Amino acid sequence: MHAAPIPAILLLAATHLIRLAPIDIAILLFYFVMVIFIGFYVKGSTNTSEQFFLAGREMTAWVAGLSFVSANLGALELMGWAGSAYQYGILATHWYWIGAIPAMLFLSIVMMPFYYISKTHSVPGYLQLRFGERARGLSCVCFAFMTLLMAGVDMYAMAVVMRVVLGWNINFSMWVSAITVAIYVMLGGLRSAIINEVLQFVLIWAGAMLIPILGLIEAGGWHKLMAQITQRMGSQYTHLWSTTGSFAANPMGVHWTGLVFGLGFVISFGYWTTDFLVVQRVLSANSLRSARMAPIIGSAFKMFVPFFVILPGLLALVLLKDPSGHLMQLYPDGSPQVLHQGAHSFNEVLPLMMVRYLGPGLLGLGITALIAGFMSGMAGNVSAFSTVWTYDIYRAYIKKKAADAHYVLMGRWSTIVGMAIAIGTAYLVRHSDSIMDYVQQLFSFFIAPLFGTVILGMLWKRATKSGGFWGLLTGTLASVAMWEMVRLNKANIRFMILQPHASADTILRVQAMAANLYRAAWAWVICVAVTVVVSYCTKPTPEAQLNGLVYGCTVLPSDGATKLYEKPIFWAIVVVTVLFILNLWLW
Amino acid sequence: MTTTPPVDPSTEKKFSIWFFVGVLVLACGAVILAQGIYEFWHPGTTVLANLHPAFWWGLLMTAFGLFYTIHFRPGKG
Repeated sequence: MHAAPIPAILLLAATHLIRLAPIDIAILLFYFVMVIFIGFYVKGSTNTSEQFFLAGREMTAWVAGLSFVSANLGALELMGWAGSAYQYGILATHWYWIGAIPAMLFLSIVMMPFYYISKTHSVPGYLQLRFGERARGLSCVCFAFMTLLMAGVDMYAMAVVMRVVLGWNINFSMWVSAITVAIYVMLGGLRSAIINEVLQFVLIWAGAMLIPILGLIEAGGWHKLMAQITQRMGSQYTHLWSTTGSFAANPMGVHWTGLVFGLGFVISFGYWTTDFLVVQRVLSANSLRSARMAPIIGSAFKMFVPFFVILPGLLALVLLKDPSGHLMQLYPDGSPQVLHQGAHSFNEVLPLMMVRYLGPGLLGLGITALIAGFMSGMAGNVSAFSTVWTYDIYRAYIKKKAADAHYVLMGRWSTIVGMAIAIGTAYLVRHSDSIMDYVQQLFSFFIAPLFGTVILGMLWKRATKSGGFWGLLTGTLASVAMWEMVRLNKANIRFMILQPHASADTILRVQAMAANLYRAAWAWVICVAVTVVVSYCTKPTPEAQLNGLVYGCTVLPSDGATKLYEKPIFWAIVVVTVLFILNLWLW
Repeated sequence: MTTTPPVDPSTEKKFSIWFFVGVLVLACGAVILAQGIYEFWHPGTTVLANLHPAFWWGLLMTAFGLFYTIHFRPGKG
């Protein structure tokens, strides 16, 4: 229903890389029709708040696991990381491996039992049970703010793809995607979002996989590709760890401590274990064992996403050519070359590679996959926003006692309003230097301190309500203060990286993305420190009130697994082993 | 003797999630396969078009989609 104006818009296109063939448009239209159909189809089974906000808690491990990963396959994954791979080399892979896998497994093995048996409907809901209303109020306001900004990021990224590849008007693309997502989430709630995320997951793999396959064939294989990149860019673009011994030895200007502690621990654990967008998918599982297996299934697929996201960025370094046959040089968003000379930006590398390899039909599939990915990111954020708004803000503070149907109606309306706000944030993103850096800033503002609060709440029974609240508030404010400090004067970054006498060259080399890692790490440390100090200064919570919320005060129920291959821990070990081997291979 | 697998609650409705997956992949695969066959006589202009990626990828997707569509069709089981 929203695809009808597309041909008219195509006629309005000014400059673009390619014009879609009729079969490309047919694939795109079919996808949109199917998405809307699913929204209407599912509407009949989303009559209660449990069905609308948590999909009735009846998803299998596979469905919840694929949805768990797919909700994260938005702009962040597809365009942003392909661009980051072009900019920083293979170092970008860290965001998929050490920056995701350990945290996903930790969620499964350690944290999921508490989320699941407490029967909380959201992460702020858990904070309310553990730390009281103040902590919940603070976290849900921050979360609501972040999800809408993130939905805007996805929306803008999709519009950029449409502009680069098809010449579509950015405003038109944003509004079409926003309206489509709003319709199917409003009608079907989380159930509709999850079904579409599974579809999008399959589409993304089918649509994006061909680019690295053809790219590797053109490059002459993996070893020849690495040799060409080394020759053009230097060996620092082809190693995961060996160049991270100093800030100056790699293109990101990052030290391994930042990767391990900032990314691998704080940002990653914060995102994958406390960001309600992804946790909500797992909470929809039909049993504790399914809820524990879902993140492990997701992590196994996540490990191989770099193949079709990072690899295209690396291939572009040596294969992407302009019409004259010379290697194409890409630039940061907002740079003079992009703004005034018509050059392409880092974030456009994936669509440029698509145009290079994909003809009619395949291009339609690739474009549909990109749109699907962006829309899944938007849907994930909007459905999570709707849940947190309705459960943790509206029902908690505005209308405490109403019929269940009233809250379902509020969930549907908040989807519409949330999407409208997200459209506004999409226009904000246009003024950011880099989509990726922008997103990482958000993570470090809100997610890193939140992880400190949740993890202390689950593992340390001495943490008190006041400790949790003040730790979360101080950590968040400290993160914003550090960001402002560096924004005013980049030289201040030397304090964050604990090198007060750092040379001007070192300071220059520390990229924004690396700075985010250290800011997140410090925000977490400050949150934890304040929580500990305040907790010791306040009266402890009686242990009887912590049953089902904290390790040491809770008897964890069995998940029913008896055979080795049924146990989540077994599969977690398998995934960790493969991750270890991959890191050694690209050391 | 065969044992009945546990019911997937996400497939209890009239249409299974996996049926939707099958239909989507089958439809896309069929279109791409047709384009791939057409390109044997009208070669494309993209890099490595000589390898006929549309034909092979379309064939793979059609087979995958057909299997899922049939295996998870409504009313089965």
